[in-house]
This record gives sequence, structure tokens and C-alpha cells, in this order.
Amino acid sequence: MADKRKQKILIADDSEMNRSILADMLGDDYEIIEAENGREAVAILQKQAAQIDLVLLDIVMPEMDGFGVLKMMNDLRWIESTPVIMISAESAPARVQQAYELGITDFISRPFDAVVVHHRVVNTLLLYTKQKRLMGMVTDQVKEKEKQSALMIDILSHIVEFRNGESGQHVLHIRTLTELLLNHINQMTDKYNFSKSDIALISTAAAIHDVGKISIPGEILNKPGRLTDEEFAIMKTHSQVGASMLEALPVHQNEPLVRRAYEICRWHHERYDGRGYPDGLKGDEIPIAAQVVALADVYDALTSERVYKKAFSHEKAVQMILNGECGQFNPLLMDCLRELGDNIQTAMANNEIRDWDDPSLLRNLTEELMQQVDMSASDRTLQLLEHERMKYQFFADMSQEVQFEYTVSPPSVTISEWGARHLGLEEIIRDPRHNEKVLATMGEESMQKLAGLLGRSTPEKPIVDFDCVIRIGGVERWMKIIARATWSKDEPPVYTGAIGKATDIHETRLKMAALEEMAAHDTMTGLYNHKFAKIRIQDMMARKPESNFALGIFDVDHFKQANDTYGHMFGDQVLIHMAKTLKRNMREGTVSARVGGDEFLLFFEYREHVDLAINRIFNSLIGNYESFPISVSMGVAKTQMLGTDYDTLFHAADQALYAAKRGGRGQFRFYDGDSTDTLSLISPIDGDTGKADR
Amino acid sequence: MTLQECYAALEGDYEGVMGRLRTERLVQKFVLKFLDDGSYDLLTRSMESGDYDEAFRAAHTIKGVGQNLSFNKLYESSHLLTEALRSKDIEAAAPLYEQVKADYAQTVDAIRAYQASL
Repeated sequence: MADKRKQKILIADDSEMNRSILADMLGDDYEIIEAENGREAVAILQKQAAQIDLVLLDIVMPEMDGFGVLKMMNDLRWIESTPVIMISAESAPARVQQAYELGITDFISRPFDAVVVHHRVVNTLLLYTKQKRLMGMVTDQVKEKEKQSALMIDILSHIVEFRNGESGQHVLHIRTLTELLLNHINQMTDKYNFSKSDIALISTAAAIHDVGKISIPGEILNKPGRLTDEEFAIMKTHSQVGASMLEALPVHQNEPLVRRAYEICRWHHERYDGRGYPDGLKGDEIPIAAQVVALADVYDALTSERVYKKAFSHEKAVQMILNGECGQFNPLLMDCLRELGDNIQTAMANNEIRDWDDPSLLRNLTEELMQQVDMSASDRTLQLLEHERMKYQFFADMSQEVQFEYTVSPPSVTISEWGARHLGLEEIIRDPRHNEKVLATMGEESMQKLAGLLGRSTPEKPIVDFDCVIRIGGVERWMKIIARATWSKDEPPVYTGAIGKATDIHETRLKMAALEEMAAHDTMTGLYNHKFAKIRIQDMMARKPESNFALGIFDVDHFKQANDTYGHMFGDQVLIHMAKTLKRNMREGTVSARVGGDEFLLFFEYREHVDLAINRIFNSLIGNYESFPISVSMGVAKTQMLGTDYDTLFHAADQALYAAKRGGRGQFRFYDGDSTDTLSLISPIDGDTGKADR
Repeated sequence: MTLQECYAALEGDYEGVMGRLRTERLVQKFVLKFLDDGSYDLLTRSMESGDYDEAFRAAHTIKGVGQNLSFNKLYESSHLLTEALRSKDIEAAAPLYEQVKADYAQTVDAIRAYQASL
């Protein structure tokens, strides 16, 4: 870190006096950020942990004390890259020890001595700067070394194959297959529990399983025909020879790689039933690494072309192995092979070329390294992260969305700066599911629903979409939450939290509701339109197929006359009046609609005495509008007679209406099946103007 | 009144503070700043309302500042009060609180007199 920026020191102390004494002692060489309690310190670290070079931390503070801050710094692993010097008059040995155990670098006790403070700060910063740089260098070096040794193994095993006349892909195939099998065994059983580094080690060692073939004469190795017994006996020595070569290594005898390679070289031709060579080991006497490589070796030999055979298909090869044509294998491995199925082909196809500049390969390696050495992120990584964080925050602020990140353990939610301001919440909330302000904002029910949705998601389908009402400053608004659950890479994966955003969809939702409402209703009378009434009616009948329903259609007698005499405006008023009268006199659950110019529809469920119900409605519709006397003609059809097909019912009611009109108007008729006249009286409503048909 | 005389009046350790903070300018700055420190008000409020956790923190802060500025008398009484409040010994805290009150008044009086003479 040779840049010229001033190093940043965070001083967390509840006393302003103490903070400013410290700031003065440190002078102008540093950029000082102050926090007056633990919570504030954590918030500052959350935003810019990667930029803070040192924390001076008081123990006794309101809101969250210094130990609370240390605990969070440990939970979130900031302590690994940001040194902490504890400042306090607390000098009880137990407390001091506790602080050191939580990872502090140094302790400064009160009263402050300017020289002491200055020196401790300078030393700590120097130490960390050097350590960070060294860690970066070591990471790079180890990566380079690792790459070279893997290359050497590839070259070595390729020499063997080259002599062997094999494709050159064999080693790669064995490595890939071994890795695949080992990973899958981990999923099937707890018996072995291979760690990531075990798997890497075994599959690397697998590459040199045939190293002993170097000692086999070329004419036997590459003989196109069947080997004689004598030749086969020589061929069989390669496993023993390979093992002896490794055993004879003057150094590195205790390296795990060498020991694994020894097992694999020596025993990759043993079989589970004891009929393999060279030692005739049986069952689990054969080390599992050698068993796995043996299976991988056989599979690849079958599916590859050799001087003495053509390549078999994947299916054929698996079938032959399962049939025991290539000797007995561990039943667990057989299951494993069966379960992997086509995944094998996919994995092989994806791994044809081994390229060291492939970023994913390096990433895996780095992950592995991090795990082995438990190394914290290198300086460069921190800078990259910092850049990402800045980008993220910019977009988050611009988007006017509430973005959040939730972790299950420790339970906490971090809300984007804009989002927290918008919702009136803290940016970091510990235990949000029991936080009163959060509960008041989101509501317990919505919170549980969202938590439920996320908990039930899977690593394959981690995205959850959820609309709910959020209270912002006492006002309820609809928001859409889209969140992605995060799952650990463990087997089985563990739900670790979620990232997501909430967008305000209040206006959109209101508009949609209004549009839906508009689409369903006749604009003039406010009754349902025919299309929507039909849907409702069909829905009602489908829900209660055993019930009795009646569908009635009526129109206003002499309506044309009213229009002609008093004008269309008056006609419209009559229709509005009819709609009101109808609504006033309907029982609950009745569907009413305007289905034509002056034609109306009603539909209801009844138990018995449908004629009484119809009579009541019929009579309620008779009266006057201003000086215009109103009566109606009505036709009624019953599901009891006609069944629940809507069009049949409607057509029958229409016919009954026609009969009522012919009978002299001002009456109602039930459809009785006699009418042969199919003329429809129903006229369509014209256009969208809502004006009645004349 | 000199700063040294001020320290004598509030029964502090002038040599001690000069040894640590190095310059009279810095000591003077913080001594005067002490008048604005809100910890004592917080202590008074929380003792009256019976919020002993808050009182503990306030006493602790006074103790820390007193220690940093070598206000030995105030430091000692606030130290005792801090310990009593830490162990929630309210009975013991009452007379100690009175002592802190008196020491605080003595300290502030001395600083004000010094400030007036500048």
C-alpha cells in the first residue's frame, strides 16, 4: 500500500472529550472518523471496513459496548483485516484477556500518554500494512507454485501416456471422474467425509496411477492384439513398479500426495472380491482412493479407443461395469456410478481442455488455499470489494428501491442507505424478526410469509416474489419484494440468508384495480357488464353445482317511447333509475348486470319458492320515474330444469322474456320448454359511450 | 491565575498531565473544554431518575476524562462511584455521588476562575 492517502482511524468512545484528546494526540497525519457508541462504530465499519486502517475502541459505551463491537467484528471477519486497539481504564486481567481473545492488537490504558498512543498507533498500522502486503505476495506465490506443480504432474503423466499411445486425455478423464465420484460419495454417505483438499489431493494423485508403465517394454504396451499370459504377467507388474518408484523417492516420503499416489499406483487393479492384483486385497482392505481410481480407470478405458479395441458408448460401458464384466467393485461405488448417470458425460465433455488461465480454475484453487490456510482476503481483493460496494451503493441510491441483505446467523438485516431513510429504519438491524420498528413497518404476518417463502426456496430456485403492504410514516403502501435466498456450498446446502429489493408498486396496483373495476362494469349504470356477469355466474355455478339458481332477463316496457318522447338524456336517466331500484331490492349474493340497451339480467341462488322471489323483485321494479310509468317484462330460466350451461340458461330466459312480451308486457314468465320461437329480443349496447341503444 | 494554580485549586496533578500531554496549549484546551462536557449533567439526570446503568456509564466517562486530565480528586471520587454503580450497590453510591458533586463543583469553580483570568 504505497499510496499517499492518509490512513483512516476510527475512534469509538462515548466521551467527546476523550475522542478529541486522542485525535489531537494523533495529529494531522491521519484521517479521523469518530463514533460515539458501539452501534455507530459498527455502522461505519459496515460501510467502509476495507478503508479503515485502525480502530481505537472504548469498552464502556451506550447502545453497544466495545465487546459488542468486537464480537460483530469477529462474526463478520472484519477483525482479520482491521486492527483494533482497545482504550480503557478497565484493567481487570479477565477483561483484558477477553479483549485479546476477541482479536485486539493492543491495549492502551487511561490516562492517555501522547507518546505512548502515538507509538502504538504507528506500530500497529505498520505491522498491518506489512502483513497485508506479505499476505498478498504469499497468495500470489502459492498460486504460482501450485500451478507449476500441477503442470509437472500433467507432463509426467502425459509422458507415460505418450509411450502408451493413449489419447492424452486419459489423465484428465481420470482426474475429472475421480473428483466427480468422490464428491458424489460424500453426498451418499457420511462414511468418508472427504474434505475439499482430500478430493483435490486424490484426484491429483490419480493422474500418476499408471506411472509404473514406464518400465513395461513398448512392444507389450502397444501390442494391438491380445497379450499372451506371459506378456500379461509383465504388464501386471506396472502397479507394483509404480508403487516401488514412489517408495524409492529419496525425499517427500511423508507428503500426503506421495502417500495417496502410492496407494493408487499399487492398488488400482485390486478388485472388491479379492480377484485383482498385485496383492489380492479384498473389500475395504483396498484404500478407498484406489477403489475410486480403479473404477474411473476402467470406465475411461471402456469409453476410449485403444490399440486393441474401439470405444464403447457411455451406456454400454456402465452396463458392462454393473454386470461385473470388468471385475467386482464396491457396491457403494456401483450405486454411485448408477446415480451419476449422464452427469459423467457432461463433466467429461466440459473438461476436455485443461487451461491454467481459466479463471474458474484459479478461483477454485484460491478457495482451496483460503480454506487450507484460513487466510483472510488479500489487500487487492479488499480493494475490489470496496469498488463493488461503491458501485452497488450508487445504483442502489439511484434506483429508489429499498435494497436489503439478510443473514440468518447472526440474525441481522442491512438496508441500503436510501432504503433505510425511506422506511425510517436503521441501516443495520440485529434480530429484525423481533424488532418492534421492523414489525410495525412490515407487519408480523407479511414477515412470516416472506421468511416462509425464503426458507422453502431451494438453491436451484432461490428467487421469491412477494407483494405486501408496508407502513411508511404511518401510510400504507403496496410494495413488491423480490428476494434471492442464499445457500451455502455445503452438502446439503444450508439457507444462510437473502438479498433483495422492495419496489413501490402502490400506484401501479391502484391503477390495475381501477382498470379491472372499469372493465367489469357498465359505465352508465355501474352494474356489471354482460361479459363479467357471465364469468361470475359460471363461477357461482361451478362452486355449487348442487344448488338451484335462477337467471332472469327483463326490459323496460315502452322504453323506446320514453326515448322518443322525452329524449335520450331522459332515457339514460330511466336506465340509471332502474339500476338503482334493482340494486336496492336485490338480496345479497345476487348478480345483476346490464346486458343490452334496456335489458337487465339478474341471477341468484334459491332454496324453494323461486316464484315468490321473482314476484318480489318484479313488483319492486314497477313504479314511476318522474311522469313516466315504469313496468317491466321478465323471462326466467332455472338450472333445476336446464342444467348449468350458461348459454342455454340465457337463451331460455330470453325466450321466456319474448313470451312475456307477446303475452302483453308487464308480466314475468318462466321458461317451460314449450316456446319454439327463437327470436332474440336482446339488443347489444353500442360502443363504449355507455349510451343505451335506441 | 496560572494553569498550575488552577490544578492546585482543583487538587489535580499538573506535572502528571504535562508529562503525558506534553504542551501547556493542549492541556489548557482540554481543561477549558471540560466545562462543556455533558457527562456530569447526564450523571445528575440518571441518578435522579434511578437509571443506574446510565449513571454508571456517565460516572465512568467522568472518571476517564478526570484520569486523562489528571483531575485526581474528581477522578478518585468518580472512580469509587463507578465501582459502586457497577456492582449496583445503590446504598453505597448515594454518599459517593454527593462527594462527586462536591468535587465536580470544586473542579468547575477552579476552571472558571482560571478562565476568567485569561
